[in-house]
Amino acid sequence: MLTTNKVKTPRSFRIVGPQRQIDERETPHPKVDRGEFGARLRDWRKNRVGGDPFRRLFGGGGEGDPNNTLQKIMRDAPEGKVNPNQIPVDDPAEMAEQIKGVAKYLGADVVGITRLDQLYVYSHRARGNAAMGEKPGDPVNLPHRYAICLGFASDYYRYMSNNSKISDTEYQFGNNHAIVPTFMLASYIREMGYPATAHHHGRSLVNPIPLAINAGLGELGRHGMLIHEKYGSRLHLTVVTTDLPLAVDEPVDIGVEEFCKYCKKCARTCPSHSIPFGEKGILNGVEKYLVNIETCYKYKLAGRGEWTNCVVCVSSCCYNKPDTWWHDVAMWSVKKTPPSLRVLIVKPLLWIDDLIWGKRPWKRMKWLGYDNAPKTMTCNIPGCTAKHTNLQDKRLHTTNVSQGGTA
Amino acid sequence: MAFVIAEPCIGVKDKACIDVCPMDCIHGADKDEMLYIDPDECIDCDGCVPVCPVEAIFPADKIPEKWKHYIQINADYFKR
Repeated sequence: MLTTNKVKTPRSFRIVGPQRQIDERETPHPKVDRGEFGARLRDWRKNRVGGDPFRRLFGGGGEGDPNNTLQKIMRDAPEGKVNPNQIPVDDPAEMAEQIKGVAKYLGADVVGITRLDQLYVYSHRARGNAAMGEKPGDPVNLPHRYAICLGFASDYYRYMSNNSKISDTEYQFGNNHAIVPTFMLASYIREMGYPATAHHHGRSLVNPIPLAINAGLGELGRHGMLIHEKYGSRLHLTVVTTDLPLAVDEPVDIGVEEFCKYCKKCARTCPSHSIPFGEKGILNGVEKYLVNIETCYKYKLAGRGEWTNCVVCVSSCCYNKPDTWWHDVAMWSVKKTPPSLRVLIVKPLLWIDDLIWGKRPWKRMKWLGYDNAPKTMTCNIPGCTAKHTNLQDKRLHTTNVSQGGTA
Repeated sequence: MAFVIAEPCIGVKDKACIDVCPMDCIHGADKDEMLYIDPDECIDCDGCVPVCPVEAIFPADKIPEKWKHYIQINADYFKR
């Protein structure tokens, strides 16, 4: 196990002004459902990926029966009551270790604990759980003290087949796969006599990324996602909030601040030009790289029924590597180098990354009858002689003109 | 909103924009004098703007007054 530098406050984002709680209805999915990103995208949300029976298993709209999608059933399951026989906790550190052990047994790959900052709790619900008497627009009251942050890793190779049914299935199954362990961990804590709520795909009252960073799971990348030293950004994050007394973890320094400053590989490869090349901006009192959520979301339309989540930024990130000794060596060298000198090591590592994995990482893959080989491009415009190409043959971006970040 | 190709493209048709467009929404035939952006397909990512050698591409709401009619010219190309 690699030792990781602990820090008092996260280095990859900075609180520079007053923050307010976000209304869940301001987040991208509800905006798309209301048509704020255009009627075409709103209609796509209802009918996407409907043509493939296997893909319909994992939810997310389409022609299938919702009751054939376990995700919907799990999302709508009511949470149980707190057991009146509370088990005393003498040592929060011991209890934290036990909770982490249980979470890993249930299926989590990484676990961290932090205090629940109310700024990362939504102010109002976008949907609510009807089985628990909740409805859209209800104010959120989540007075728990702790947030247990869980990360579930997706498969490195299937993600490397990005822009395909294979990577899309892996992404969507990851969302579903994370629900049961999260639900069960919250249930376990309630059975110990303490309030606990599960927050996962389709039902979450918290923003998991800042909580996971505070809990020491990783740092915030240029592409707006958590970067873990071993799994990169291919982690599905869930949270269990609770009042069970627990010892908390500290944020970590794994070199993301310096790496993202110089690397910019995600910005060069992002098909929709949504990741900035420039400096950080400020949103809701937080200084961070501002990703253009609207263009990122609209790029889903390019899937044309094949995929809904492109995951190019996840697979192109230099931290996204298989579990190997040479990745451990690279990580060790980044972490052991003082921050002011890291630029000297980032550039050679980036050069090696481009050389071995390519400037636009992507792998041909055949899996369960799917084949992500690039298809011949056809154009429906009569007479058009423009040479349309697959993503793998497109030119990489080099710079942004506008910096229209929204998240 | 969509992006719009304006007069500077006429006679140039460099086509670098086609190489970066993620939606493949920039089209043109050999006989056409310029390239055109399909406003229904464009996702406003601005990827085409920095690669255009003649600075012919603008967001529809920021196009210079003298080229505003190109908004309609681009849209009409796809209604033929």
